[in-house]
Amino acid sequence: MSSGNGDQQPVKLSLPLKYQQEIFQELRGRDELVVIARGLGLLRLVTNLLHSYDAVGNNFILLLNAEERENGWIGEALAEHAAISASTRARGLSVVNTDAMSVGTREKLYTQGGIFSVTSRILVVDLLSGLMNPETITGVVVLHADRIMATSLEAFILRIYRQKNKAGFLKAFSDNPDPFVTGFNPLHTMMRNLFLRNVSLWPRFQVDVAQALEGKKKAEVIELEVPMSDAMRNIQQAIMECVEVSIGELKKGNTGLEMGDWNVDSALHKQFDRVVRRQLDPNWHRVSWKTKQIVSDLTVLREMLYHLLTFDAVSFNRHLDLILAAHSPPPGSTRQNQSPWLFLDAAHTIFDTAKKRVYIGKLSKENDQDIQVLRPVLEEQPKWAVVAEVLEEIDRDLYFSSAVRDDSNGTILIMCGDALQCRQLRDYLQSMHIRPDGKNEEDEDEKEKEKDGDDGEKEEPSATAMMRKKLREYLVWKKQFGKVKENLFSENQNVINGTTKPASNQNFRGKPAANKRRRVRGGGTVGSAPSRAANGSILASEDRPLEVTALLSEIKATDTESAQKDDIVADPLDDMEDFYQLYEMQDLVVIHAYDGDMDEHVLEDVKPRYIIMYEPDASFVRRVEVYRSSHNDRNIRVYFLYYSGSVEEQRYLSSVRREKDAFTKLIKEKSGMSIVMTLDAHGIEDPQEAFLRTINTRIAGGGRLVATAQPPHVVVDVREFGSSLPSLLHGRSMVIVPCMLTVGDYILSPNICIERKSIKDLISSFKDGRLYNQCETMFQHYKSPMLLIEFDQNKSFTLEPFADLSGSLSSISSSGASDLQSKIVLLTLAFPTLRIIWSSSPYQTAEIFESLKSQEMEPDPIHAVRVGLSGGEKAEDQTFNREPQDMLRAMPGVDGKNIKNLILDMGSIKEVSNARVEELEPSVGKGAGRTIWDFFNKSLLD
Amino acid sequence: QVIASRSGASSILVSPRQKGNPILTNLRSFAWEYSDIPADYVLGLTTCALFLSLKYHRLHPEYIYNRIRLLAGKYKLRVVLTLVDIDNHEDSLKELSKTSLINNVTVILCWTAAEGARYLELYKSFEHANAGAIRGTESKGYTDKMVDFVTVPRSINKTDAVTLVSAFGSIRGAVNARPEDIAIIGGWGEKKIMRWCGVVDEPFRARK
Repeated sequence: MSSGNGDQQPVKLSLPLKYQQEIFQELRGRDELVVIARGLGLLRLVTNLLHSYDAVGNNFILLLNAEERENGWIGEALAEHAAISASTRARGLSVVNTDAMSVGTREKLYTQGGIFSVTSRILVVDLLSGLMNPETITGVVVLHADRIMATSLEAFILRIYRQKNKAGFLKAFSDNPDPFVTGFNPLHTMMRNLFLRNVSLWPRFQVDVAQALEGKKKAEVIELEVPMSDAMRNIQQAIMECVEVSIGELKKGNTGLEMGDWNVDSALHKQFDRVVRRQLDPNWHRVSWKTKQIVSDLTVLREMLYHLLTFDAVSFNRHLDLILAAHSPPPGSTRQNQSPWLFLDAAHTIFDTAKKRVYIGKLSKENDQDIQVLRPVLEEQPKWAVVAEVLEEIDRDLYFSSAVRDDSNGTILIMCGDALQCRQLRDYLQSMHIRPDGKNEEDEDEKEKEKDGDDGEKEEPSATAMMRKKLREYLVWKKQFGKVKENLFSENQNVINGTTKPASNQNFRGKPAANKRRRVRGGGTVGSAPSRAANGSILASEDRPLEVTALLSEIKATDTESAQKDDIVADPLDDMEDFYQLYEMQDLVVIHAYDGDMDEHVLEDVKPRYIIMYEPDASFVRRVEVYRSSHNDRNIRVYFLYYSGSVEEQRYLSSVRREKDAFTKLIKEKSGMSIVMTLDAHGIEDPQEAFLRTINTRIAGGGRLVATAQPPHVVVDVREFGSSLPSLLHGRSMVIVPCMLTVGDYILSPNICIERKSIKDLISSFKDGRLYNQCETMFQHYKSPMLLIEFDQNKSFTLEPFADLSGSLSSISSSGASDLQSKIVLLTLAFPTLRIIWSSSPYQTAEIFESLKSQEMEPDPIHAVRVGLSGGEKAEDQTFNREPQDMLRAMPGVDGKNIKNLILDMGSIKEVSNARVEELEPSVGKGAGRTIWDFFNKSLLD
Repeated sequence: QVIASRSGASSILVSPRQKGNPILTNLRSFAWEYSDIPADYVLGLTTCALFLSLKYHRLHPEYIYNRIRLLAGKYKLRVVLTLVDIDNHEDSLKELSKTSLINNVTVILCWTAAEGARYLELYKSFEHANAGAIRGTESKGYTDKMVDFVTVPRSINKTDAVTLVSAFGSIRGAVNARPEDIAIIGGWGEKKIMRWCGVVDEPFRARK
């Protein structure tokens, strides 16, 4: 990173571009929210800002809402800055992100000061429990401001901070303008949540930004439109059709909901499934099984669209196999409860075409012993050839103009979507000049017309070798997978076999009969190809692993083929050396996956002369622009690849457009925004509230006049801080006492103990019996245990399912004791004195709590913590990590009783999985130990 | 009379006050009969229910207290079956929550008469049922359990679960898999891998 230009600051900054300096000056001057287009260097701004405070020393700064990798990045950058500006007082970044750090350590750290990035959940507890004094905070920097809602923890933290500390600074950042204009969070509510009055917008089209990036140091960008192959286009179209139908079904099944933007266009947008989920979430307990199915289908289909473009043909086909297997119907099911898209012709097209990209073969049902029926097609991704071409062009370019040298390394950087693709491209580049020495009839090699490179190879680059290898792997996998599937879905298979084709049993006999492994491999693919084609119409309900006739007839064909392939695999290393010799004049070809802000680092480290963007990415283009403009002497040329008419292209264009629209709207809203008045967190209503509290005792004719001079206290379990309720209680002027509770979530009084369950929790805790145990322990220790059933939003305040399920309501027997209502009934029958609080929203809950407390004594936190701990246990030992525990609960053999022992005796899921039966038994008992061991060790391969 | 002899154990007793309540027309799976009882419905030896429509409650807030008083602590489980038939239910429900605490009643909400009837039927039919269904003792096949187990960490779905476990042969294999090995499986991006490997290795207790 280059050191900054002459700035007035006593510290050295690295903000070479004018707009960056401007934002920085603005930020130093006042508190504001900065919304900046993605890729314009947000993190660099943040680190420079933090450094400017850090270098002075004597600061206590909080960094809020940073992701883990951002912590790493910022920490590194701060250290670098400190070294460059040789500031002795800089202390760098301290990260507090686990419960593992004890209270004492944290307290000590906080008193030392410096810059802290603390996980919100821990921070809020530390603030409330007085471990961290908000008055000592110099300032707060909030990242990802777009994710902050009125009820989120971050907003809670900011409120506590602002209540006690009016002088400290507060700066918020976001590089995602979309949430500020859509949904329920328009700009001004966001600003209120953030306690900020100023907003500063920096879209790409802002004058300063444009000037800085489009000056004479502009990066050279060459767009290459790559046509998709016909097969790909067909598949894409078919998938889109499936998406459309699924959305249609979704709309039909959920008429009560707002679904204006559920259409195929928006389905392309990256966030679509999340949008649908978010809209459905408050009603999730009400939607039918089918709707849930479709929502998950949509995710699958959308992923499929992406994989179509990124996976090679073989991997894509394999992926489809898996999808099909995972979606095979549960035993005894009817057509109705399967994914609707699987029944479409389009689905057939998807699976069929995908297979045809790998191999084609017609197989007559009679035992036709012809060898050539099945042959590989192995369609290559069109982009591969283009990449090869581009590399060659670069090669030529370098050859002719090698005299021109600048600061760049001459490295070629290839950027692609994910790690998987990196690997795929690497494999391709390594093997593109490898030829199977015995040529197949279908891949005739053409001599290249002209070539400047002095390598021995004179062939058009092709992926044949790689694809063949993949196919071989696929065949091996396929065989294995047949077994797995049989194990996993044996019940289903049996059901299906019994009804449709009893003959399929033969194939399991057929497999061991084959004496050569290779033959069996071949059989795997061949077998499934016709089986699917043959019964394509009932695609969804049937996916037979193998068929005997196919198996037998195809062995020979694949035998000769794989003999050829083996020759190639024999000496891959020699070829690899060839490959590297070819590009000797460049230093390297570096393949990287897009990784958000991390890409800036990559550019700075690699200093590439040429960049191939294998996939379009708007923010990366900007990063390149910023990079280019920041350096005088680094020429750069970008090749920008995209499939024409593809989802990828549309997605790219729409993301650019959306961002632009969002900014335009924001600018408009900003210009029309009335000045937000001082947002005093301890607002005007406070005295009034206090007054009301004292007279509120009239409810239910109460005669209590216990001193209310002191604000009401609520003891809250620290694990509850993930929900918005503590924040709202605090907002209603209650004192929150965060404690590590063993029994209950909220303690309102010495008698009242409340277990809060959102609908989702309620369902899952009924399922694994957790709630029953919780109620049991609550009754052991408290006089009036209560179960709070909390709904998300007012409008979904009902347990009634949507129209498509209501038929089953009238009859009890139809669903047995499985639905929510009957479980509630069972619970109340088991605990007749358990009180149930129904709350339509967390806001409502806060009010209910207030009224429940009105005549009660204040709770005793020390007692609350001690309750439920058996002798010798300490509260601190009870810090559990939730997810591994939930996994334990999902295991067979684990129940509410023995889970405790398991947690105490074993370290992690991994440890449990590797434990022997004898090791498990002391903790969980004999039968359960065996069950657990079986669960982990059941092999799907035999 | 035939009807009289059947009364008691097998049918729901209904107070004549409930005449005309749409719940009665939805009460189909169980026999019910009018009987002179302090509660509105008797659903078992120790269980009774009072019916309350919020619309009525708003007009006559004292009604339900009188009714509760009439019960005079007779039943062990005293349900106030509340029909939510108004939109601004917040205040009434807040009050009922408080009432339930003071007067030892259990509030159950329903949103339609059909649902209310279903609750009554459920109470009656589960009169002698044990709590097995809510104690987590449901039995399931291996595949379902495996999927449940693997999909606990957020963002991992069913397809991923099948892919993962089938790639490593067993759950144990999947738990012990190295990130590099998982990375070659389709559909498993870096984030998912991080999550999975993180969770299985995460200690149950944050501090030992």
